[in-house]
Amino acid sequence: MAGAVSAPPDDRTARPGPTRGTGAGRAAARIGMLLGKRVLMLAVLLAVVFAAVQLLPGDAASATSERGEGAAGVAARRHLLGLNRPLWERFQQWMTGLPTGDLGTSARGQKVTDLLAAPFPNTLLLGGAAFVLTMAAALVLGCWAAARPGGRLDRAIGLGSTATFALPEFIVAVGLLLVLSLWTGWLPAVTLTDGGGAPADWTMLVMPVLALAVPQTGWNTRIVRAALADQERTPHVAAAHLDGLPRRQVLLRHALPGALPTIAIGAATSTGMLLGGAVVVETLFNYPGIGTVLAGALADRDTPVIAGVVACAGAAVSLVLFLADLIRYRTLGDRS
Amino acid sequence: MSTTAVLDRTRLRGPRALPRVAPALLLTVLALLGPLLAPHPADQPVTAPYAPPGDGAPLGGDQLGRDVLSRLLHGGSALIGSALAVAVVVTALATLLGCLAALSPALGRVIEAVADVAILLPPVLGIMLLSLAWPGGGRPAVTVAAIALGTPYAVRIVAGAAAPLAASGFVEAAAAGGERLFHLALREILPHLRATVLALFGLRFVEAVYVISMAGFLQLGPQPPTADWALMIRENASGILLDPWSVVAPALAIGLLAISVNLAADTVAPKAGRRSGPRAGRGAGRGAERRAVSRR
Repeated sequence: MAGAVSAPPDDRTARPGPTRGTGAGRAAARIGMLLGKRVLMLAVLLAVVFAAVQLLPGDAASATSERGEGAAGVAARRHLLGLNRPLWERFQQWMTGLPTGDLGTSARGQKVTDLLAAPFPNTLLLGGAAFVLTMAAALVLGCWAAARPGGRLDRAIGLGSTATFALPEFIVAVGLLLVLSLWTGWLPAVTLTDGGGAPADWTMLVMPVLALAVPQTGWNTRIVRAALADQERTPHVAAAHLDGLPRRQVLLRHALPGALPTIAIGAATSTGMLLGGAVVVETLFNYPGIGTVLAGALADRDTPVIAGVVACAGAAVSLVLFLADLIRYRTLGDRS
Repeated sequence: MSTTAVLDRTRLRGPRALPRVAPALLLTVLALLGPLLAPHPADQPVTAPYAPPGDGAPLGGDQLGRDVLSRLLHGGSALIGSALAVAVVVTALATLLGCLAALSPALGRVIEAVADVAILLPPVLGIMLLSLAWPGGGRPAVTVAAIALGTPYAVRIVAGAAAPLAASGFVEAAAAGGERLFHLALREILPHLRATVLALFGLRFVEAVYVISMAGFLQLGPQPPTADWALMIRENASGILLDPWSVVAPALAIGLLAISVNLAADTVAPKAGRRSGPRAGRGAGRGAERRAVSRR
C-alpha cells in the first residue's frame, strides 16, 4: 500500500511543468502546436463540408428558381453566384474568405454574414447561458455526489443524470412548456421579440435555456462524478485521505484539480450539443435564432448558408476544445 | 477457468439487472406491436381537430382530428426499427474497426483524427447537411446520417476497451504464432469485449433515438401524413392548449424510451470503477476521460 502511494509523481508536483526546463519558449511552442492542431481539424471539417455540399446533384441556382423561370434565368443566376467556376477555385475563395469573416453569398444573393448577424448572437446568448448553467450545476452535483461515494445521494444523482442525459432537448422543452406555462402560467409559451429582433424579456429565455441545460447537465454530472472517482484512486488523493484531511478539503483541493482536464473535455463536447439542440429548441419556442435561418436555408437548398452555420458552430466548438487543451496542458504539463 | 468466472458474474448480476432492462424491452415490444393494437387507422379523421379526450378517442384528436392514441401506437415502430438498425450497424462497424485499431497503431491514429474532426460537427447540423445531399431521402437518409455521425465515437470506445487486451500476453502469443490481423481481432480480442459491446449497443440505440427523433421533429425524416412520434410533436405543437395529449403523449413515449434504454445500457455496462488490480492506479483518469471524448 505504501509503495503504491509513493510510486508515481502526482499531478500537483507536475504543475510547474510548462515553466520548468527550457522555460516559456517551450510552453509557447507547445501551446502553438495545440492551437495549430485544432485549426487544422477545423479546416479539415470545413473542406469535407464544402466537398459534400458541392458534389451534390442540383445547386442553389436551380433550387431557388421561381416557377416558370427559364433555363436562361437559372444559368444567369448560376453565373451571378459563381457556380460555373471550377470547384477548386470556389473552395479556395471560400476558405480564404473565412478568416476575414466572409462566409460567402447565399443563393438569394445576400451576404451570409449579414443573414447571420442578427440571429447568431441570440443563439450564442441562449447556448452560452445554457453552458454556464450546465457547468455550474454539473460541478455542484458531481462534487456533491462524490462527497459520499455509494451513498443514497450519490445513487440518486447517478440515476437522475443517467435518466436525463439521453433525453432529446425538445422532449424536455415540451415538459417544461406543459408545467411552467400551461399548468402554472408562470412563463410565456412563445418568445416575443422587440424591435431589434432580440427576445423582449429575460423570462422568455428561461424555458429554452432550461431545456438545453437539463440533458447536458445530466451528461456533465456523470463526467464530473467519474473524473472525481478516477482521481480518488490516484496516490496523492489516497495519501491526503491517509493524512486525515477532511473529505471536503480532499475533494476540492486534491481531487478536483486533477479532474479538471476531463471535465473540460466534457464541456467541449457539450458545446456542439448545445448549439445543435438550440436550433431545435428555437423552433419550438419561436426563438429568433439561427434555427429559423437554417429552416429557410434547408428549404432553398441554400448550401452557403448551411456551410456558414457549420463553420461558425465548428469554430465555437474548436475554441472550447482549445481551452480544454490549455487546461489539460496546465494540469498535466508535457505528460499530456 | 476464466469462462466460468465470467459466467458466474453474469449470473450474479442477472436478477438485479432484469428489473432495469425489462422496461426498455417492454416498451420496445409494445411500440413494435402497436399498429396491431390501434383502434383506428392512423390517417383517417375520427373526431374534431384537437378534440379533447373522449368519444372514441381516449387521447383526443390531433390537428386533423385523427385519433392520437392510434397514431401513437402506429408512430413508434418505424422510429424504434430504424434506431435498432442504426445501433446494430454502428456497433458492428465500431467493434470491427475498434479491435483492428487496437492492434494497428496507424489505423488507430486515423480513427482518432476522424473522431476529433467529427466532434466539431453538431449532429443536428450533420443531419441537415445530409438531407441537403439527399433531398427527399426521408427515413433512409436520416438512418445513414445517424450511422455516419455515431460510428467515429463508438470506434473510440471499443478501441479504448481493446487496447489493454491487445497488449496482453495471450494476444501477443497469438501474434507471434503468426495469426492474421482479422483472426487476432475477431477470435482473440472480441470475445473479451462482450460487456463493452453490449453496453455500446444500448448507448448507440439511445443516441439513434435522439438523432432520429430530432430529425423527425425538424421534418427532415418521415413526411406527413406518416404517424411518427417526433413529427406528431411538431405538427400538434400549435394545439397544445386544446388537446395537450396530442403533444404530451408522443413526448412521453420518446422520453420513456430514451430513459429506459439508457438505464438498461447503464446496467449492463462494465463498471470501470470496480476493477481492481495493478492497472487501476496507473490508468486513473483515463476511464472518465475516454467517456468524455466519446459523445455521439
